[in-house]
Amino acid sequence: MATFELYRRSTIGMCLTETLDEMVSNGVLSPELAIQVLVQFDKSMTEALDSQVKSKVTIKGHLHTYRFCDNVWTFIVQDAIFKYDETQENVGQVKIVACDSKLLTQ
Amino acid sequence: MASSTTSTVYIQVIEDVINKVREEFINNGGPGEGVLSELQGLWELKMMQAGAIVGPIDRSAVAKSMAPGATSNTVHDLNVPYEGPEEYETPTADLLFPPTPLQTPMQTPLPVQTPLPGTAPTPLPGTMDNYNIPTGGTPITPSDYPSINENGVSDGKSGRPNTYMQPPSPWLNQRPPLDVNVAYVEGREDADRGGAANQPTTQDFFLLSGKRKRDEFPSQYRPSGGYIPQQDGAADKLEVGEGSNSIVNRIPQLDGPIPDPYDDALSTPNIYNYQGVVSEDYNVANTPAPQELQAATPAMVNQNDILDDDEDEPLNENDDDDDLDDVDQGEELNTQHLVLAQFDKVTRAKSRWRCTLKDGIMHINNKDVLFNKATGEFDF
Repeated sequence: MATFELYRRSTIGMCLTETLDEMVSNGVLSPELAIQVLVQFDKSMTEALDSQVKSKVTIKGHLHTYRFCDNVWTFIVQDAIFKYDETQENVGQVKIVACDSKLLTQ
Repeated sequence: MASSTTSTVYIQVIEDVINKVREEFINNGGPGEGVLSELQGLWELKMMQAGAIVGPIDRSAVAKSMAPGATSNTVHDLNVPYEGPEEYETPTADLLFPPTPLQTPMQTPLPVQTPLPGTAPTPLPGTMDNYNIPTGGTPITPSDYPSINENGVSDGKSGRPNTYMQPPSPWLNQRPPLDVNVAYVEGREDADRGGAANQPTTQDFFLLSGKRKRDEFPSQYRPSGGYIPQQDGAADKLEVGEGSNSIVNRIPQLDGPIPDPYDDALSTPNIYNYQGVVSEDYNVANTPAPQELQAATPAMVNQNDILDDDEDEPLNENDDDDDLDDVDQGEELNTQHLVLAQFDKVTRAKSRWRCTLKDGIMHINNKDVLFNKATGEFDF
């Protein structure tokens, strides 16, 4: 199963990465095993988002920068408005990084 | 801060990951269950500190129930914790405690188990590189496990360069002094004897050292207005002697062509601006580079660069700045507002952008929000 390393930049991914860093640097964990854990995280996170999350979000704002490189879209949106679950969040500037979903199904 | 659903999903993901790597930890000479629980405890602790997991985590119950046969059954694992969010909230004390005990064992056992003393000193970035390099997904076989030692060795090597790195700096430090001293002595003579403003440019080029140029600064500034009293020290040398221009001229010409580009790189262009060398001279000097013109040659290159900066680069610089700013801002925003997702479709009609995203993690206003679908409408 193909996976994205994209989600490693999320809070949960960063926490895991930091944990693995510490354990590898302390010699408790081998780098190979740490990578296996990260790869498993990629899979588990993707599966969880696909199977467990049902919420829908709408994003509006001013597109300050767009970039499409290596099948990854990057948007920097200013004055963004996020609406979800009857909640609205206003953000001065947000970065959106999105991989091609078709790459996972292939 | 995280919504309860986000926290729930995070907990389930942690459980799922832990359960699915358990076999690797226990079998094939892995570090064992203790290290795995340590990993989970530290991970969850960080998540709670980051506010991504709210409420207590009844980890023991979940782990026990899931540990036996849940390894291969993903759906089942996810459902178990998902159904029981209510349970999490009750055992507050239990939830709060697990992280701390886990953390403390972490710190102590670490030195004991460290097979690789060399790894510890290596900075985190280095370690990251270490386990970014190897391809993920390769199962660890007994034969592979010893490779850890190899990695440790490699780590030690990677650490060694640090020690090597220091020697280079002395090297670099030593080289400049040597060159500078030679040029600088001559420069002093030149400066002392030939402080005259007749051929400042030749002196500059001939004197490769930046110090020499610095010495000239005062001389150039002084006529205009003597702004900088601090430079008097260097100026004293210039003032001390005058009249060695002839000597300077003789020698510089020989060295001139080769050192000039080198000087150009090292020298600050501002110096040449003040000299105000004629552009015509530069053009002439650039191609033929005659002996007498050599002095002007380096100046020409520098001024050309300067001209380029003034004329062309403003546009380029602005572009670069924009990009850099964007990137920098974006990087800075990573910790604040970031959306990580997959895109199904991105379309544009004139300045109207529409994108459909799926399976995303948003970190907005210090909250983690997950979404299955997202639509974006942006004006560019």
